[in-house]
Amino acid sequence: MIIEAAAVPSETTLTADVCIVGGGAVGISLALALLEAGVDVLLLESGNDAQDAATQDLYAGTVADERLHSPPDRYRQRRFGGSTTIWGGRCMPFDPIDFQPRDFIAHSGWPIDYRDVLPFYPEANRLCEAGDFAYTVETAFPQPVRELIAGLPADSAFSSNTLERFSCPTDFGKRYRQRLAQGDARVVLGANVGTMYLDPAGRRLRALDVRTLGGNRFRVQARRYVLAAGGLETARLLLASPGASGRGIGNAHDVVGRYYMCHLAGTIGTLDLTPAASVWHGYEISDDGVYCRRRLALRPAVQQRLRVGNFIARLHHPRLTDPAHRTGVLSLLCLAGPFIPYEYAKRLTGGEPATWRTWLTHAGNVLSDIPGITAFLWHWLRHRTLAERKFPSVVVYPRAPRYSLDFHAEQEPNPDSRVTLEHGSADALGMPRLRVDWRHTRQDVRTVQAALAVLAHDVAEAGLGRFLYDPAGVEHEMIRYGAYGGHHIGTARMGADPRSSVVDANCRVHEVDNLYVAGSAVFPTSSQANPTLTAVALALRLAAHLSRQRAWSASRWQARNFRRQEGR
Amino acid sequence: MTQRVLVLGAGGYVGRHVVAALRHCGWATPVPVLRRPGSAGEGGLVLDATDASALAAALRNVDAVVNCVAGSPATIQAGAQALRNAMASHGSAIRLVHFSSMAVYGPAIGRVDETAPMAEGLGGYAGAKVAAERLLAEFGDAIMLRPGCIYGRGSPQWSVRIERLLRAGRIGDLGAAGDGCSNLVHIDDVVQAVLAALRRSSAGASRIFNLAMPAAPTWNDYFVAYARCLGAVPVPRISQRRLACEGRILAPLLKIGEIILRGEGARLPPPIPPSLLRLWAQDIRLDAAAATDQLAMRWLPLAEGLTRAATAHSQKGSPCD
Repeated sequence: MIIEAAAVPSETTLTADVCIVGGGAVGISLALALLEAGVDVLLLESGNDAQDAATQDLYAGTVADERLHSPPDRYRQRRFGGSTTIWGGRCMPFDPIDFQPRDFIAHSGWPIDYRDVLPFYPEANRLCEAGDFAYTVETAFPQPVRELIAGLPADSAFSSNTLERFSCPTDFGKRYRQRLAQGDARVVLGANVGTMYLDPAGRRLRALDVRTLGGNRFRVQARRYVLAAGGLETARLLLASPGASGRGIGNAHDVVGRYYMCHLAGTIGTLDLTPAASVWHGYEISDDGVYCRRRLALRPAVQQRLRVGNFIARLHHPRLTDPAHRTGVLSLLCLAGPFIPYEYAKRLTGGEPATWRTWLTHAGNVLSDIPGITAFLWHWLRHRTLAERKFPSVVVYPRAPRYSLDFHAEQEPNPDSRVTLEHGSADALGMPRLRVDWRHTRQDVRTVQAALAVLAHDVAEAGLGRFLYDPAGVEHEMIRYGAYGGHHIGTARMGADPRSSVVDANCRVHEVDNLYVAGSAVFPTSSQANPTLTAVALALRLAAHLSRQRAWSASRWQARNFRRQEGR
Repeated sequence: MTQRVLVLGAGGYVGRHVVAALRHCGWATPVPVLRRPGSAGEGGLVLDATDASALAAALRNVDAVVNCVAGSPATIQAGAQALRNAMASHGSAIRLVHFSSMAVYGPAIGRVDETAPMAEGLGGYAGAKVAAERLLAEFGDAIMLRPGCIYGRGSPQWSVRIERLLRAGRIGDLGAAGDGCSNLVHIDDVVQAVLAALRRSSAGASRIFNLAMPAAPTWNDYFVAYARCLGAVPVPRISQRRLACEGRILAPLLKIGEIILRGEGARLPPPIPPSLLRLWAQDIRLDAAAATDQLAMRWLPLAEGLTRAATAHSQKGSPCD
């Protein structure tokens, strides 16, 4: 059932077994799983089906350094479906090493293991519409597929048999709306959570204050609550209510909002693979119809030996903005920059001021490659614009096998990288706005530097070509566009010790018996992987936990609920 | 003692399999009834199943009846009416196993067991199935089988048609349009249910049984699994836009073409009418626990069912695993 918050009678109380705050990938997955288990679910989503400027403005906030982090209302969408309405769809699981404590990554180690999450990955993959949970070429393809770089030795520091798989990209709101509308779950749109009230003892959440932009106001009472509002908003919600400590719910030890991680990503150098027998940096389509792509992954044993974080890299087209690539399609994209959504344009075309001379050279590139551009646009129209399963990205096959290297690296947890509330600056509903102070560490730079160096060494030693880059420019390159947008990790981290974590291994807030957090906020470390798939898998794990818990206590709850209704 | 079993609609897909199973079971002799002379075989009858007096005559020499009459809504209803009249005029009680359908539940969603009411006011096939069941329910010894979608080698609707659509790339992963539960049941399981129903003592508790494999796949999962089995890969994602065109534009054209070409022997591609699209999105889940318990059903898993279905009529005969 889908309800408008404006239609809920004012000053009444909605009750449920589980109340989920946030209708994005995580909240919707959680709701679907609980629905399947027969749990009474109420999902509160601030937005509606379409984007709305006033709702989106509730996300606005400030950043400590605009060069290092995009404004908080970018890369996330306050509407039904959440940021899956704009995501790129890249899916990959975390690696077993990501869960382990590593003495060279500060504050690393999860209270759970890879094997605890593994059972939930296949269903997470299904929900993301990324096909089978098969992330190596050997498991995903019955027949051999093209090598990334033919001749890359088996003892290289990098493997090239792991895959990233792509979601449609699935807009969870559109995709699962009907299932939620038909089922017994209640989804309330336009419902903004404000203060969260604890009982006098401070151990249980008693009610949520819910408001609409139109001025309606009501309450929600549930037996259990789950915050699934994204890595930034979950921290904001926790901090905005005083809690037992007066410093925010779950924040007695000043951990909420700290350890904020994104990923370190950039495009660097020139990888000249002329001597290699073959190179393939495009997509393959698996039997289940999913776009898959190989990548260079720094092997876990090498991470241990080099004492660096997790790291992957992809072969990429040359930097768009420099017309020296002499490729019509790339110049066309560069010229089309103003028409590409901000979230994608930033890394594609942003950063460098264009002179009229470079502009003219780009135009020249376009004019000299009309057949190539026509073929590209036709493919784009058929397989991206009109297709429901979209071709994931721009892939340009260069005339000579020269590529740039696109990397995506783990960021070390750092308590000084944090989000806080901007007191004195409130949104339209009176909630304090967010301030983001994202930082990286020396170790983050070391991870990228060491990985690039070992790649350059391996490519040269195997006689596959050369990787030319400026080692002194690595840090500049990895923060050229600041933190990788849209990956908001670690702000309510999972751990065994309440002094250094916010939630326990079951994602329950240490301080509060009936409040849980779902999403990338709970990740203690960030991995090389994009967070959505693992966030969904953890949501499904939480759903299993909440359903089990219900089995032994549902009867008690029902009895209480019944008494309450009688008492009215 | 051998049971003589009259099988109405023996020329149809289900009827053929029921006759074959009865022939091999060792305790029954099938008496297949066909509308037109053909492969009625030894001991078979040719009669119009909507003719009550002919039916009454046929009933005199048998111990049980299995009603698999398919066809137009009018045929289904007329057949049930004739059978009712014939049975009423028959002296003693006679075991009837009647093929109803999950269609009797209409647009219901969620878990549906046999206690759920039949839907009111349905037209077409579903309406005829409701009417037929009502006509025959009063006989104390009647057992109603309500199968979901029957697949298996040669199943025209849920295997052959699906295979043609998959090979043509017209279906695949349908997104939200294929989220409904398929309620698939393999023809071999259906036949097992008929045999169990015939042998069941009349004192049994239930008289109505849903037939569907437990935890049946969604239509999307079925299409993807079947396409992989057939080697029709990569399985395409079909957009909602394209499905809308299938339902609103292509299906009526194909229907018109079929009418024009009727009798010409031409084989047109199968249409995907709006009713089919509605079914694929309808999340009705048949609860077949009663059949599991009382008919001792051991349901064929999908992978095994697909292997049996595909090896029988795919050109390559690729095994499915």
